[in-house]
Amino acid sequence: MEILRCEGVSKVYGSGNNQVTALKDIDLTVSKGEFVAIIGASGSGKSTLLHILGSVDKPTKGKVLIDGTDLSTLNQTQAAIFRRRKVGLVYQFYNLIPTLTVEKNILMPLALDRKKPEKEYFEKVVGSLGLSDRLEALPSQLSGGQQQRAAIARSLIYRPALLLADEPTGNLDQKNSCEIIDMLKLSNHNLEQTILMITHNEKTALEAERVITIQDGQIIRDERRR
Amino acid sequence: MWKHYARDFIKNNRSSGFSVRLSAFISALLLSLLCGLFYNDWKYEVERIEIEEGGWHSRITGEFDRDTLESIKNFATVKEAVINQKESTDTETVVDLYFDRINTVIPDTPRIALLAGVSPDKITYNYPLLAMYLVRHQEDTAPRLLFPLFILITGLASFSLIIIIHNAFALSMNARIHQFGIFSSIGATPRQIRTCLLQEAAALCALPILTGNLLGIGGSMGAMHLSNVLLGSHIPGRHQAVPGYHPLVLLLTLLITVATIWISAWLPAWKLSRLTPLEAIQNTGELQLKRRKNSPILALLWGAEGELAGNALKAQRKALRTASLSLVLSFLAFTIMQCFFTLSGISTRETYFEKYQDSWDILVTLKDTDVDAFQETGTVQGLPGVEDAVVYQRASAKTIVEEARISEALETLGGFSHASGKFVTKTEKGWLVNAPLIIMDDTSFLNYCQQIGASPRLDGAVVINQIRDVTNPDFRHPVFMPYIREENAVSVLRPAGKEEAEVEIPVLSYTDQVPTLREEYATLDYYELVHFIPVSLWREIKGELDGAKEDTCIRLLGKEGVTLEELNALQSQITRLLGQTYALESENRILEYEINDKQIQGLKAIFGGFCVLLAIIGTGNVFSNTLGFVYQRKREFARYMSVGLTPGQIRKMFCIEALVIGLRPLLITLPLAVLAVGYMLKLSYVAAGEFLAEAPLLPILLLFLAVWGFVALAYAISWRTMRGIHLAEVLRNDTMM
Repeated sequence: MEILRCEGVSKVYGSGNNQVTALKDIDLTVSKGEFVAIIGASGSGKSTLLHILGSVDKPTKGKVLIDGTDLSTLNQTQAAIFRRRKVGLVYQFYNLIPTLTVEKNILMPLALDRKKPEKEYFEKVVGSLGLSDRLEALPSQLSGGQQQRAAIARSLIYRPALLLADEPTGNLDQKNSCEIIDMLKLSNHNLEQTILMITHNEKTALEAERVITIQDGQIIRDERRR
Repeated sequence: MWKHYARDFIKNNRSSGFSVRLSAFISALLLSLLCGLFYNDWKYEVERIEIEEGGWHSRITGEFDRDTLESIKNFATVKEAVINQKESTDTETVVDLYFDRINTVIPDTPRIALLAGVSPDKITYNYPLLAMYLVRHQEDTAPRLLFPLFILITGLASFSLIIIIHNAFALSMNARIHQFGIFSSIGATPRQIRTCLLQEAAALCALPILTGNLLGIGGSMGAMHLSNVLLGSHIPGRHQAVPGYHPLVLLLTLLITVATIWISAWLPAWKLSRLTPLEAIQNTGELQLKRRKNSPILALLWGAEGELAGNALKAQRKALRTASLSLVLSFLAFTIMQCFFTLSGISTRETYFEKYQDSWDILVTLKDTDVDAFQETGTVQGLPGVEDAVVYQRASAKTIVEEARISEALETLGGFSHASGKFVTKTEKGWLVNAPLIIMDDTSFLNYCQQIGASPRLDGAVVINQIRDVTNPDFRHPVFMPYIREENAVSVLRPAGKEEAEVEIPVLSYTDQVPTLREEYATLDYYELVHFIPVSLWREIKGELDGAKEDTCIRLLGKEGVTLEELNALQSQITRLLGQTYALESENRILEYEINDKQIQGLKAIFGGFCVLLAIIGTGNVFSNTLGFVYQRKREFARYMSVGLTPGQIRKMFCIEALVIGLRPLLITLPLAVLAVGYMLKLSYVAAGEFLAEAPLLPILLLFLAVWGFVALAYAISWRTMRGIHLAEVLRNDTMM
């Protein structure tokens, strides 16, 4: 079942002599339950693609459909609600709210919808991410790996159609990086979570079942590994 | 978001809301003070109208029998119907009507008139009183400006406050753009972000609004009390104000305050909520320069630290806008106000108090009284403690100055070529000019004649034969010259408005000496030819001339070295003597001097208080800015330290920033104040040396030092927080990114 479709997506920044084409006619489909890695050098356009897929940015041209919703038709409010319910975002620098506890950070997408968490699912997520005993801590009291796990827990709490991870291990040491990738794989297997991960690290990319290579804003290789 | 984020944020970051709280408090205080003062002013006006005109709403005049009166009293909306004995005559009765609800006055009075069989033209409305309750009749065309003025002033105050305080909200909100970017990226809608920010603002401002309002109410009461102490009821036509308050005023004040603060908070909240998650999340909260900037003066004076401090100040320009604006405005307004009052004090002292020092002690104005009808001249002149008393009245007349009569000196200056057509008219015979008459009681006129060496007679006039050099605008040091040739033994006067008629009176003397009266001559119209005449002559010619002004004045001089107590006693004696027969107002020179002094002190206190409030807003903003940016600047300083800047050099940067912020108001104010004072000196013809001798340097210096001291304190506190900086920790801590 197809969960993501990009049709001729382009993104151009600036105008005139300062014009920079970040993405050029990207066509891409991702099925439910897939774990896709997008790999590319710095400036290849992979982060731009992730921002467009996460509805935090809009394409200059083309169409993006996630779970049947055309992102180009959404206004700012609709895009925010879509992000909250359908997309989980994980950043390199975690982006946790420093003044909130880990638990409140994780539950924030539900709180924005005035929804109560399913206790069982919440415990399952925090338990599998090894955060059960750190729920009352503030982000600054956690290690980098723990902070990233909290960010993943937050992105999974709404059972999103698509989890987008932007260099999730980019700021972590080897041990923590392996742990995070294992967590992502676990959620992919156990929760049938569709994951699209951006990385510049080939070794990390090889953990995914499909690797897409971007260069100069274009997909130059799409390789299924299993 | 309130429950999960904002509440915790407020609880855990008490210092960050300081400037927001301070701004809300000051806004509430100012607006509450404004509304309280307006209410008390309104109340005072109502009381004044009730004292002067009466508290009736409308009145009908006619012949009423007992039954008609009874049915008027029983009219549904009438509270009371009272026969006004004073206004009633033998043939007609005047009935004052009071209504239960004031908005029924205009529709119901004609119905009552109809019921009483009185024609509508016999209805009178108390327009001034009705207008105070916003009830206007179409025939009342007078511009009642109290309410429009209040709306205008309140609107302007709210607008100014929004301009000044919205930055305080922006500062607190913008410090967390990155966090709101995270919220946005996990699905918070712009509306949710806006609502959260406004809820936060409401929670922060609730207590300051209430406190500010209560203090404002107290302040307005205090101001009314102060006006009673300063002005009392000594000023003619003024009564003691009774301070008061009404729950509706509190409601209105709260409404205006909340609206002002809500708009101030909504503006940055709206701007922030419109940011895309990408824009917000990429915002590190650090101070950035959009373009390369140079700080050559600071670099020259303090080297690299000066350059860095200059750039930091430029990057903070937006955040420090409120501070800069408030401090500059406060200092500028205070300096110019002080200079203005000093200059105005010198001017008033020289042109009024010193000029009329020996011209009067008490001046009594007899309302609607003609000088020839006043019988008590001898009694007043004989009162113990009275050295001299002159009873006089002004009247207007015209005369023609023929070409041949113009003096040589005036001719040399071009004759009437500089005269304004408003006062002087060219006719076939010559120039038609104003010839104001000062009609003096006979005794005083004879004394005056003796004083100037004229023959003491009661059948002629003394003509003031002098004119100012109209080409010299320096009113403080005028040069006089003879106006006309002193050849004619008679003066031909013409009634104002009926210039074809003529009245010929003998001229007893031409002189340049005026009698000792508190009067000014030829101030607006330089070409007027003043005539002093005795009341005996006026009785003979008034039928042909008319033109007498409404009131008669009595100028009294006490014994030499008279005290305020003696003058007060004399004033009471005269009021007792004449108050029964005449409507009068009286002024007392020493008291007037003291009142004038108190009024200036009061005005200075009000304006000075406003300037100090502005300075508080400014320094409050400096405090919140320096303390609010601690985290962002920790990162900035960590970078400097990582390239080798020592803590001592960073402290130097702080000192330079504090110095510039504190010095800026002075540097901007100085040239502007010099220009403003120069202009005022030019207009008032006060010599620069004279002003400099009394220049208000001390209060200006004190305000400057106070502002500078507070700015330095803000930076000192900020430095204490900052000095424990741990380089590795700051550069590693990405929760700030």
